[in-house]
Amino acid sequence: MSEFLIHVAAVSCLYGILALALNLQMGFSGLVNFGLIALFGCGTYGAAFAHLWGWPPLAGLALGLIFAALMGLFFARLGARMSEDYWGIATLSLAEIMRLVFTNEQALAGGAQGVSGLPVSFAGLAGQGAGLSRLALYAALLAAAFVLCQRITRSGFGMALKMMREEPQLARALGYDLGRMRAIVMVISSLMAAVAGFLYAHYLSFVGPEQLMSHETFLIWSMVIIGGIANNWGVVAGAFLMQFALAYVPFVKDWLDMPSDFVAATRLVIVGGGILAFLIWRPKGLFPERIGGSHG
Amino acid sequence: MADPLLQLDGLSKAFGAHQVLDGIAASIAPGEIVGLLGPNGSGKSTLLNAISGFLAPDGGAVTIAGRDITGLPAHEVTRAGLARTFQLPSMPTRMTTREVLAAGDVSAGSARNMLRGAAQDQRIDQLLEMFRLSHVAKLPASALSGGQKKLLSVALALRGAPKLLCLDEPTAGVHPELRSEMITILRRAARDGTTLLVIEHDMLFIRQLCSRCIVLDRGQLIADCAPEELEKNAAVVEAYLGKSVEKGKTAR
Repeated sequence: MSEFLIHVAAVSCLYGILALALNLQMGFSGLVNFGLIALFGCGTYGAAFAHLWGWPPLAGLALGLIFAALMGLFFARLGARMSEDYWGIATLSLAEIMRLVFTNEQALAGGAQGVSGLPVSFAGLAGQGAGLSRLALYAALLAAAFVLCQRITRSGFGMALKMMREEPQLARALGYDLGRMRAIVMVISSLMAAVAGFLYAHYLSFVGPEQLMSHETFLIWSMVIIGGIANNWGVVAGAFLMQFALAYVPFVKDWLDMPSDFVAATRLVIVGGGILAFLIWRPKGLFPERIGGSHG
Repeated sequence: MADPLLQLDGLSKAFGAHQVLDGIAASIAPGEIVGLLGPNGSGKSTLLNAISGFLAPDGGAVTIAGRDITGLPAHEVTRAGLARTFQLPSMPTRMTTREVLAAGDVSAGSARNMLRGAAQDQRIDQLLEMFRLSHVAKLPASALSGGQKKLLSVALALRGAPKLLCLDEPTAGVHPELRSEMITILRRAARDGTTLLVIEHDMLFIRQLCSRCIVLDRGQLIADCAPEELEKNAAVVEAYLGKSVEKGKTAR
């Protein structure tokens, strides 16, 4: 396996975890979160602070998880006060506020320059060993996240989440406390996003605010929409598909002999165009949700 | 008389300058089947929303089985023993009828069960059978006809064996044959200890089912009597047909 393929597969695994987290929120629970990247950022900055303060990397993971849980709860609390569409805008705004604070506060994790020199996991292994070990670790965690999401969405609680997604008024009449359900979903998926962020930080060995750009959130949205909203297999497939599609853009650029800014522009077109095309022609995605699959 | 199951004391609600509920006071004894009547816009659905926690009243109190539930959020009112249906039952598009009934069990849907597979519940089959929905069990619930959605919403409301069941026009759009079956089902629920408050425009249904009626007009309670006495009640006749009838000045 070439270094390049190992790299793309490893990043795909991390984005697979993010896609599963967004799918749990948006796909199954109807929580339209445009600020997912902020929860991922809790993980990356947890790693960054631990590195700056000379803590061991795992302490950074704990820090990231605590940040993410608190931010997830904050998102959920906000949701109790506003309707779904306004909540989506609020989450986008919160993620932007977080990015702008980290960009402009020089004293806070290096400002726009970010924090570099984080230890890379499995760096000591020779040859492809390091890359393959990372890939194996990420794939194992992706599998764990997948199993967790499958269990949740097929449980009685998963059925309640679907009821909240589709008919919130009916769900309340049945006795469901939607505020509590939102909080539980947000915390679980925020922790998943933070794990992905922490691993990403120790993969690139760098944490910076430009990793929190809102187009990263929309990249994850494209994975969910293209893969299949509310289908856990689908969104993981979507993550791999999108990562591989984006990774091959530079080759296309060389082949067509295009200027270097072709790459970034084409990637945006793939994400935006992909979302648009699927919403128009195949809104259920490549792998549509299986209705009735979990019960009888 | 036994302690009331539902007690309303001076319940009021205004939308801006419009007083939709004006000091409603009533009580319903356990096991009673009470019709809630009134012309369109008289405040019936608002009263139901105020009782069930979907709308906070401006004043007054609601008590269920001795517990003050005034102003509690809807899910807590449900947990206190109330179940309700909606006038226009909207059902999920991406859940089957069976899944909707499964989600009707709040304890099975609790977060404590998030890692357990959804239980196969015999009660779901009973309800599907009882409401003649077995043949549509695997269809998306939104694909059901208007009448079937009404039946499904009543089945859902009965799922948790509530103390008080409030139905908002349960038979609108339901086939006449199923309507009489609905009466049997609701009577059985009442025998099993559920108290019923039913909003309905179909007077035949009301007469067959209810032992008592309370009538609202413009937010006020204007009558509280047996269904047979409604026609003789001047206030009720006036609310429905206007003053001219009372005075014998109809067009013909």
